Amino acid sequence: MRTGRLSTTSYGYLFIAPFIIGFLLFGLYPVYNTLALSLTNTTMMTREAHFIGLENFKRLFADDFFMKAVTNSWLIWLLNFIPQIGIALLLSAWFMNIRLKIRAVGMWRTLFFLPNLLMPAAVAALFFSLFSYYGPANQLMVTAGLQSEAIHYLQKIATTRGLLVFIQWWTWFGWTTIIIMAGMTAIPIHLFEAAMVDGASAGQMFTQITLPLLKPILIFVFVTSLVGGMTMFDIPFLLTDGRGSPASSIMTNNILMYLKFSSSKGHIAFASSVGVLVFIMTTVCALGIFYFLRDREGKATAVPETAPASPPGKGRQPA
Amino acid sequence: MRKSLLLLVSLLVAASMVLTACGGAATEAPAPTEAPAAPAEQPTAAPAAPAEKEVLNVWSFTNEIKTMATAFEGKHPDVDVVYTMIPMTNGEYQTKLKASLGTADVPDVVALEAAFVKEWVEADFLADLNDLLPLTEELKTFPAVVQVGANEGVSKGFSYQATPGGFFYRRSIAKECLGTDDPAAVQAMVADLDKFVETAAKIKECSAGKTFMVGTSAELFNPFLANRAQPWVVDDTLVIDPKVEEYVAFAKLMRDNGYESQATQWTEGWFAGMSDTLKDAEGNPVRVFSYFLPTWGLPYVLQPNSGETGGDWALIDGPMAYQWGGTWVGAMADSPNLDMAKEFIKFVALDEENLTNWATGVYTNEYLKAIDPETPEDQKQAPGDFVSSQVVVEKITPEFDGSALYDWLGGQNNYEAFGKAAPKVNGALMTGSDDAIQRAMNDPLASYLLGDITEAEFWQQWLDAVQNLFPELTIPEPPVTG
Repeated sequence: MRTGRLSTTSYGYLFIAPFIIGFLLFGLYPVYNTLALSLTNTTMMTREAHFIGLENFKRLFADDFFMKAVTNSWLIWLLNFIPQIGIALLLSAWFMNIRLKIRAVGMWRTLFFLPNLLMPAAVAALFFSLFSYYGPANQLMVTAGLQSEAIHYLQKIATTRGLLVFIQWWTWFGWTTIIIMAGMTAIPIHLFEAAMVDGASAGQMFTQITLPLLKPILIFVFVTSLVGGMTMFDIPFLLTDGRGSPASSIMTNNILMYLKFSSSKGHIAFASSVGVLVFIMTTVCALGIFYFLRDREGKATAVPETAPASPPGKGRQPA
Repeated sequence: MRKSLLLLVSLLVAASMVLTACGGAATEAPAPTEAPAAPAEQPTAAPAAPAEKEVLNVWSFTNEIKTMATAFEGKHPDVDVVYTMIPMTNGEYQTKLKASLGTADVPDVVALEAAFVKEWVEADFLADLNDLLPLTEELKTFPAVVQVGANEGVSKGFSYQATPGGFFYRRSIAKECLGTDDPAAVQAMVADLDKFVETAAKIKECSAGKTFMVGTSAELFNPFLANRAQPWVVDDTLVIDPKVEEYVAFAKLMRDNGYESQATQWTEGWFAGMSDTLKDAEGNPVRVFSYFLPTWGLPYVLQPNSGETGGDWALIDGPMAYQWGGTWVGAMADSPNLDMAKEFIKFVALDEENLTNWATGVYTNEYLKAIDPETPEDQKQAPGDFVSSQVVVEKITPEFDGSALYDWLGGQNNYEAFGKAAPKVNGALMTGSDDAIQRAMNDPLASYLLGDITEAEFWQQWLDAVQNLFPELTIPEPPVTG
């Protein structure tokens, strides 16, 4: 019977082989290559390149652009993630609550998810037009008496950041809601029934049953969103002028990387050094999340693994 | 069973390798066309295999050259020009082009815009086009056009355009506020910057602040830059020419006095000023008196967006001579079809017949459809673009008397006006890093004009941004320090 058992195992290997091969080719090799590149002075427009050690990293820390990019990325991510997860938890709790009996849950879920389907380029172009100096936002606000005169929204730090945070929140909270609802569906209903029999309030059920059993899902949402936030690019790139203006206030890690790449003869090595630092930072934080949210008692909970295999759509990561 | 597992995995790896190999072969497919390059010279000699067309990959950031590509196919039925258009709004085109270097995707012919053509001419990826130089003498190509496309005696790109700048104003507003709409008289009122500012004040006063001198002071950036003594980069050091300082002071003056509409260039508000449909936030109509636009700005920007205001415009030199933009075409040295690529460049930039057709509106939609039935409805070349050959310019200038553009300009021959300005253009001020250095200024300047930062902060932010983009560049002290 030994052979039968082994053949089952080998099928497992077979099934994961495409992912492993894909990962080695398209995941691990680029990471290795980026690391190797970051130690050279390679550019796209010159044919020769030399090993220069940690020179790129030294330069990166010499001016404050890198720290600015990191600060921006964290700030924009946190400002949109906190309301995102909060609203998503609240909506999921409402939708899943058997007592509330909300009608047409499917429709609401779809509506909230719809912004996620829009192309980032279209969203950025839309907001750019809406909030330009002669755009409808100014006309609406002035005629409604909410502003005394037209404002250069996209040339002011606070309003530009605010808009970016809103766009990120608006396009991703529906996605988070759906993931959390999927997680909640997997919680055995008898636990809630038992709690109800014991006279638990809705709040108690949420904090004592739902939240602890949602932990694996929350870790998933946290980590994917963190990765998305640290690599946020399309909306901030397209919203103003491709440099994260005004005053570099929406220049994220990836915009900085792109700037390094697109100027000075295509300085791909310098850009790689930004990528390496972002990679290290994101990895450390993701491991930190796993560590702090790990199952401390070490006992297996009854939560089935319902996290979807990969974030949906266009290779984008939620932010 | 372990063996069978190994076998399975190795089979999978092998399969994936075969797959990637196929992928590689597919992208390299254009390579075999290298061989037929020579026989292409005598297309009638090989009628046996008419299906195999030679493929020429052309990349550009506008659809302009697409029209010429179709016309080229008309002359060379054996060639299939594959045209790829990539926008350059935020530098996407330049990035994509850089990323294609050394890969199988590298195009044969590339279009290069004035802002970054030097970067490519100075690098070693473009093919030497010196053997086309005799044609420039024959056609009397404007010297600046040849100069910009060359580096250290090697020509790497030619342009079908020359791009001297002009100053377009609204005749009706001039009559109302300045008392005359005569081009010569108005030119006298804006002949230098002091007079320009005086006139701006007059127009503001006469319209109670509802008419602005210009859409945005950014339009004057190019005129100021064209009058510098030195280029941006000399001996790997950034040069802050006095003209740059003057421009910053001028932009601030225009903003603080309300002489500009504050619309950002290339946005809806800026275009709305051309058709007189601009409305402020309260919904009141506001007007824009003038636009600084070069040769191509007339047929491609101002006229198509002018709506009902046609006939109300006039063209003069304005306060400063300048040039702005232009598209050069070069061939990639790695191109497997170098001969055909050169043939294409010759046709686009150095062919008298093509340049004449281009400027006079021969390439109508019907003309192009006769060559390629799949030509989209909106693809055509309206007359008016200003070409790089003095021979052609002189020949076709009379044709513009009485043309649609002539009427649009209230009875002025744009070709004549630009023809006088084109030989004066200075091509020596362009360097490879211009685009990035100039783009880096926009954001801090906007903050300074808004009053969010001081002038010292503006200079510091801009210099920091330049250093961030060009780590190797030596950056001077800012002209104003806090």
